[in-house]
Amino acid sequence: MKLNIDGLLVYFPYDYIYPEQYMYMLELKKSLDAKGHCALEMPSGTGKTISLLSLIVAYMKANPLEVTKLIYCSRTVPELEKVVAELKNLMDYYEQQLGKGKPKILGLALSSRKNLCINPEVSQERDGKNVDALCHKLTASFVRANHKRDATVPVCSFYESYDAHGKEMPLPEGVYGLDELQEYGRKKGFCPYFLARHAITHANIVVYSYYYLLDPKIAEVVSKELSKNAVVVFDEAHNIDNVCIESMSIKITRRTLDKCQQNIDGLSKQIQRLKDCDAERLKTEYQKLVQGLRDANIARETDVILANPVLPDDVLKEAVPGNIRTAEHFLGFMKRFLEYMKIRLRVQHVVSESPPSFLKDCYQKVCIERKPLRFCAERLNSMMRTLELVEIHDFSALSLLCHFATLVSTYAKGFVLIIEPFDDRTPTISNPILHFSCMDASIAIKPVFDRFQTVVITSGTLSPLEMYPRILDFRPVTMATFTMTLARTCICPMVVSKGNDQVAMTSKYETREDVAVIRNYGNLLVEFCSIVPDGIVCFFTSYIYMESTVAAWYEQGILDQVQKHKLLFIETQDAAETSLALLNYQKACENGRGAVLLSVARGKVSEGIDFDHHFGRAVIMFGIPYVYTQSKILKARLEYLRDQYQIRENDFLTFDAMRHAAQCVGRALRGKTDYGIMVFADKRFARADKRSKIPRWIQEYLKDGLCNLSVDEAVQVSKRFLRQMAQPFSREDQLGLSLLTVEQLDQEDTKKKLQSRMQYV
Amino acid sequence: EAIQEDEKGSLQASVDDIISKAKKRKLLEKIKNVRLGMMRHLFLIIDMSEAMSDQDLKPTRLLSTLKLLEYFVEEYFDQNPISQLGIIITKNKRAEKVSELGGNPRRHITTLQSLADKVCHGEPSLQNSLELAHQTLRHMPGHASREVLVVMGSLTTCDPDNIISTISMLRDGNVRCSVIGLAAEVCVCKKLCKETHGSYSVILDECHFKDLLTQHVTPPPATASTESSLIRMGFPHHQLSADKEERPSMCMCHLDSKNSQGFSSTGYFCPQCKSKYCELPIECKACGLTLVSAPHLARSYHHLFPLDQFREIPTAQVGSNVLCFSCQTAVQELNVYICDNCERIYCLDCDLFIHETLHSCPGCASSRQTQQSAKMAGFS
Repeated sequence: MKLNIDGLLVYFPYDYIYPEQYMYMLELKKSLDAKGHCALEMPSGTGKTISLLSLIVAYMKANPLEVTKLIYCSRTVPELEKVVAELKNLMDYYEQQLGKGKPKILGLALSSRKNLCINPEVSQERDGKNVDALCHKLTASFVRANHKRDATVPVCSFYESYDAHGKEMPLPEGVYGLDELQEYGRKKGFCPYFLARHAITHANIVVYSYYYLLDPKIAEVVSKELSKNAVVVFDEAHNIDNVCIESMSIKITRRTLDKCQQNIDGLSKQIQRLKDCDAERLKTEYQKLVQGLRDANIARETDVILANPVLPDDVLKEAVPGNIRTAEHFLGFMKRFLEYMKIRLRVQHVVSESPPSFLKDCYQKVCIERKPLRFCAERLNSMMRTLELVEIHDFSALSLLCHFATLVSTYAKGFVLIIEPFDDRTPTISNPILHFSCMDASIAIKPVFDRFQTVVITSGTLSPLEMYPRILDFRPVTMATFTMTLARTCICPMVVSKGNDQVAMTSKYETREDVAVIRNYGNLLVEFCSIVPDGIVCFFTSYIYMESTVAAWYEQGILDQVQKHKLLFIETQDAAETSLALLNYQKACENGRGAVLLSVARGKVSEGIDFDHHFGRAVIMFGIPYVYTQSKILKARLEYLRDQYQIRENDFLTFDAMRHAAQCVGRALRGKTDYGIMVFADKRFARADKRSKIPRWIQEYLKDGLCNLSVDEAVQVSKRFLRQMAQPFSREDQLGLSLLTVEQLDQEDTKKKLQSRMQYV
Repeated sequence: EAIQEDEKGSLQASVDDIISKAKKRKLLEKIKNVRLGMMRHLFLIIDMSEAMSDQDLKPTRLLSTLKLLEYFVEEYFDQNPISQLGIIITKNKRAEKVSELGGNPRRHITTLQSLADKVCHGEPSLQNSLELAHQTLRHMPGHASREVLVVMGSLTTCDPDNIISTISMLRDGNVRCSVIGLAAEVCVCKKLCKETHGSYSVILDECHFKDLLTQHVTPPPATASTESSLIRMGFPHHQLSADKEERPSMCMCHLDSKNSQGFSSTGYFCPQCKSKYCELPIECKACGLTLVSAPHLARSYHHLFPLDQFREIPTAQVGSNVLCFSCQTAVQELNVYICDNCERIYCLDCDLFIHETLHSCPGCASSRQTQQSAKMAGFS
């Protein structure tokens, strides 16, 4: 259907549109017009992706000079594939409507070598890191130079032919998913990975993972040269601050340092050898370093590349300091720094300090100044190139240390150094860890906000919206949250606050060991097992809590009762074990035996896996998933947030807990034909501060009457709900209510109704 | 507003609305001159697992179910006189055939009544019971419609093997499986019904349960793979004896029974081979002839030639103070229904009653002229 979105002609590849999709597009257009950023919350399963794509493609078609590129960032490979499929659908619709006149669009997905490689030997590797290493072994420039001299040195034929012909031959327009890229690569004999990496500079639509834009180490390689007039979309962005923080944080253990020692020894041997046979090369490198990083500086000033937070602007203006210019001196320098680090790790109690005090201490103890430290990362890279090292992967420990050195000397604020002599859980075993932790999510994402004209942050659960601009430090043009228009109430959220014996249910630390509380939780599970068909997913607040509760249930005989109705599966920290459990869980749901999956909020299951339709008829949230508050890193971050952004500790903790709870319960509902029960089993959920932080589309159906239920009452409500939902429900029932045609959209009163479905923040 | 709330703030209304719309749509779907599977062979599978002792239907799910099924069995034979029925129960992961396929409603009702005393325990096994039904249905003639109706209270099924293969076996065997769930929608049941072209429904309360059962009384359209054949039928009269000497003899239906049941001098005698039966309709065990009585066949007539749908028009169009022709009360609803043949006006309730139960329009039947023209329209 063709839509008129505020004067813009939008081609929408379906005959009907959800009201909230229409509103979503209106809001999106506003921020595109204003060239500003926005944060939008819309429930999953209401067609966020297609709304985004159709509006932005239409916008690009109408204003080809203002928006030239769409960068769509998602989290996992299946999600990438979904976006590509929707894009294909949209382009097919354009072709069908306009024939030859359809916009010339090149869209492609980019993923790691592991998912794209077609070299028969390399692609057999399972582990992503190994694939990268093998690929580098075959494609590094000096390997290829050696190959020219000596034909027995193996190279990758796909890369060779891509390098010879592929660069001049741009990808023909169209939409390329990962499979299509591989197919195209096979047909032409080109390497799909490098082809895609090259193509993203001129592609109109790029779909890839967050890390390609947020992780400075990867962004440096992949996304440096993307056009400024681009729209960046972060989908499923409810966790974006954690991604930012992770990408800037570094963890150094004693093993890392031992490996660094080996790395340095290895490097010095290499240098010695090189000195003996080819001293010229080291000399050229030295010359280059004197020249400084001026080239990079020029590039950044003329605004061609994306800024790298690890390599701040003022570093670029200077030349590499003299004391680390020659290779031996640099290694000697690193050795000294390494020794210092080893001393620091030899602590008996927890140390927490700021980067400046660390630098001062470092200067006093081993006379290392701040300036050369800042150049470590650059200097190491340069040396690796000069030495023509093949096994870059082996030197990851040393490059980690160099990164750390650069970061610690660059940022005085927003970071904290925490050295723990042992793990909290095993206080007797000495296992020193140095956490260099980023506390400010805005550092990693700042270059993105600065560079691109529109950044869209969107997810199904982004409540409370006002928190995100604060922690990411940006000013949005528009922030809005949309609810689902439903022809029938297909979600049934409820807060179960007490057991049948009236004992309050809560995972509060003081009472979580209480037998009565655990038994009530068990009763809740047993009762729900007997009335909910197929799959039930339960979330605990942590692995430890889950273990102790399940052990208690076993003793109380609750597990036996559960197994009368359903099979029981448990998520563990082992990924392989968990995916096996998931597979069998799905099988049990398929063939009618029914199953319960016990898992953990913030675990793998709670984030990436959908439990649509019969895979999750009910989600039970046992307790509020607060993050482990005793952690030093978290405490430091909370303090920082309070001082810098005036966010109170409690506000942030509740925000974080509630977004994870919303993520967990949101797993059950993935579309309008789906239905599910969402049980919040903790009396604290009913309090206003928690309840108001639940996404609006769930809150809307969480009536007061459903906020303080006992187990029995919850069972009655659920029984009735399940019977009603089982009644036949067809597409016609949705028409006019939650599905609209063009004509219905144009009517005035519909527009008024639509306004009420949305709320600005 | 997408969802309307009633004064109490309940959302029940929107669901009710959807249900009544669905009901009306179902009536509209009924088209005439469609080949129907008139000779039905139906297995009732009754869940007797622990879940059936739940008291959300009064007094218990099982008792309530059995009572409604008694009504269903009577209704079934009333509307499908040349069909047969059998009963299977499942509990404790096993399935048991409590009543063989047969055409005698009284026998089935007695069986149903005896089930009320049994205890419900364990889990049901959908697969085992379906396999058991299939074993018998497999041998039924190709022109017969093979059906299974499951009444399932449990939300789980405990099967020895992969049920998916059983489902495809039933599909290949042309067995139509329908399920009525008593609690909630179970994925595997939905799949079973979809694959085998049956219908899946879940009850809201006793009343709705009865409605759903009634839907299974009317014969379903025949599937394309059902053979079509002319069937030789015998119409035996009830006789005191085949020959003049009044000698008592065993009837064929009770040959195996140990007691003296079926030993009498009266019965129905097959016109072809003179075997004796005590009930109709039945297939002659000796020569395979289908034995029915003429009234049986006549009662199936309305399935093949259903009454035409009435035209729906707004009440305001007809004028104020409209009386329904059949119940003679003033019409309150927004729409009235008009028979195209006799142009009489009916209210919604009467319209449903006429189409669901009466199968003939009282307006047309009240004058000879319209009666004739209606009949002609039916045959054309």
